[in-house]
Amino acid sequence: MFPINDHVDLLIEVLQRLDGRSLGAAACVCRQWCSIVRNDSLWEHLCFRQLSPPPSVGTRSVVLALGGYRRLYMVCVRPVVSRLKAGESEVVRRVWNQREMELTLSLFCVEYYERLLGGGGVVGGGESPAKSLKFLCQAVNVGL
Amino acid sequence: MKRNHSHPQKHIITYSTPSPGAATSSVTGGDVTEKGKNMWDEEDAGVDELLAMLGYKVKSADMVDVAQKIEHLEGVLGNDDGLSQIASDSVHYNPSDLNSWLESMICELNPSPEPPMIDDSFMNATLPDSELQAIAGNAIYPPLKKLKPNCSSSSSSASASASSSYNPNPNNQNQVVLVDSQENGIRLVHTLMACAEAVQQENFQLAESLVKQAGLLAVSQAGAMRKVATCFAEALARRIYRLSPQTPQDPPAFSDLLQMHFYETCPYLKFAHFTANQAILEAFAGKKKVHVIDFGMKQGMQWPALMQALALRPGGPPTFRLTGIGPPSGDNTDHLQEVGWKLAQLAETIHVKFEFRGFIAGSLADLEPAMFDLRTDEVLAVNSVFELHQLLARPGAIEKVLSAVKEMKPEILTVVEQEANHNGLNFLERFTESLHYYSTLFDSLESSGTGSGGLDGGGISPVTNQDKFMSEVYLGKQICNVVACEGTDRVERHETLTQWNNRLDSAGFEAVHLGSNAFKQASMLLALFAGGDGYRVEEDNGCLMLGWHTRPLITTSAWKIQ
Repeated sequence: MFPINDHVDLLIEVLQRLDGRSLGAAACVCRQWCSIVRNDSLWEHLCFRQLSPPPSVGTRSVVLALGGYRRLYMVCVRPVVSRLKAGESEVVRRVWNQREMELTLSLFCVEYYERLLGGGGVVGGGESPAKSLKFLCQAVNVGL
Repeated sequence: MKRNHSHPQKHIITYSTPSPGAATSSVTGGDVTEKGKNMWDEEDAGVDELLAMLGYKVKSADMVDVAQKIEHLEGVLGNDDGLSQIASDSVHYNPSDLNSWLESMICELNPSPEPPMIDDSFMNATLPDSELQAIAGNAIYPPLKKLKPNCSSSSSSASASASSSYNPNPNNQNQVVLVDSQENGIRLVHTLMACAEAVQQENFQLAESLVKQAGLLAVSQAGAMRKVATCFAEALARRIYRLSPQTPQDPPAFSDLLQMHFYETCPYLKFAHFTANQAILEAFAGKKKVHVIDFGMKQGMQWPALMQALALRPGGPPTFRLTGIGPPSGDNTDHLQEVGWKLAQLAETIHVKFEFRGFIAGSLADLEPAMFDLRTDEVLAVNSVFELHQLLARPGAIEKVLSAVKEMKPEILTVVEQEANHNGLNFLERFTESLHYYSTLFDSLESSGTGSGGLDGGGISPVTNQDKFMSEVYLGKQICNVVACEGTDRVERHETLTQWNNRLDSAGFEAVHLGSNAFKQASMLLALFAGGDGYRVEEDNGCLMLGWHTRPLITTSAWKIQ
């Protein structure tokens, strides 16, 4: 038997190839997996691995400042991609382009601002997005 | 003019309570179709004066004849008790059956395109002069006028084959039976138009009765049609009774709140912001210090997206200065400063150097270029979303503002305006235009939140009813302003792109084409909205228009100094 938990780098390699839903399920497996999955870089990889060309250098600091990649994925990327390509079974495998990423980031920023306006604490705020993004489908809480 | 005709009180086609000395009668649609040919063939000899005012020529002698025929028909319909029971049980007659049956009763082989209506919903209007009801009845059934409103189709699809009814006015003895809400929809539009016409002719008594009827008919509708009709009926009532503008005025905080809900419910404002931002972004390409003047700051929802785009642009973000202009608020809170503070927090988070200044101004015409501390090493953009049309209420204001803008030498001026002519001199034209415009707008509102919501959203409608309701209030206030106000109070003076083109051209500006980037981004944004297939982005001479199906509703344009 091969104890995958002893080989975290391998585990991460595997997890990097999953889609969002599977990542969420993976987080429920055990505490170690949960802490690995919580690592934002996995979600960054999920958000942008299909992006060609890769996003600019400054993107990471902006995204992290606005709430991180996991939040970006749940609140924006997932609904946007699913809405734009309704009908595809594997939602995240498609290549998405620069323009879609820019739009997604803008919406993410607007959402952050709206939570600011909403009063007070933004840090670690609830999983549910601010109202300006409610026009996208409801973010599904993947249980993290 | 009185027609002496006594009828027993309780009939399905009812009349006002006959007073001893002046028994009056009214005739409803049946007679119109029967005597259709008479209305259009005969000349003025002996026509009913009151009807003639509305342009219908019906011989007075014929009215009596027809009324008698209807009375005969009533006898055949059955006794009254059955009818009153039927009315209260809300039974609905199939109009096609009624048509053929009535025709056979009247023994007149004159097939009419419209089934005669057995409907006296308007009877519930309590008016001393019942002859006005007669006029109203015929005004509603002009056989050859086909004004199909935009939303009758949507209301019919919403209500399918359902008819609607409502409880009769308990104070009134009259029975009420409604037939087929789609027919009612058309009649409703006709009533509104007739009312507007009466208002234009300053016939306020007639207008008053019509507006009440319109209000009642509106209740029988469903969906968008109902809301639009209710708004317009209310606006007309305000005009008739001179209730507008409201005092006290809504505080700006409330208007901002309404606009926020509108922002969330439908894509118009988002479209406006994104397309304007794209033009500003392109104008700022490569510049190190930028300054934006926003003519309508509100909650500042436009600027986070621009700041984020500036933060991520190749070469790094510029120093971003924002000057926001807002109306004075009723209470003493400095609303602008709060918004500026939040934007500053955001700017700090994404590492953009940011400076904010707020100006409170009752009107944009009060502003002078010298106030803005314009710096020579800065590039300026001026942004106006739904602000310029308000200046048209005062003569000279728009020219003053445009010349002030020109003096400030902006790199770009972005203008977002409603695509409609609601500033015509003729009230009836304005009314008709705005009826079509807001019907389309309400139609699109209706579809928001009812879309399938994508694959895995579970089909939950994310847009709440409260959002939709507040958006409707937001639009309703605009409607009230367009219809009920005049002079400097009427600030919703929308004009079309062509008209703005002329104004800006003569003020010394020339159009900047919004690029394909803006177009594609806008299309993508719209694809995200539930019910998104109804929205259309169009390009018109470099300007972008967002519309619902075939009707453009708002336009974004960009300008620079010639």
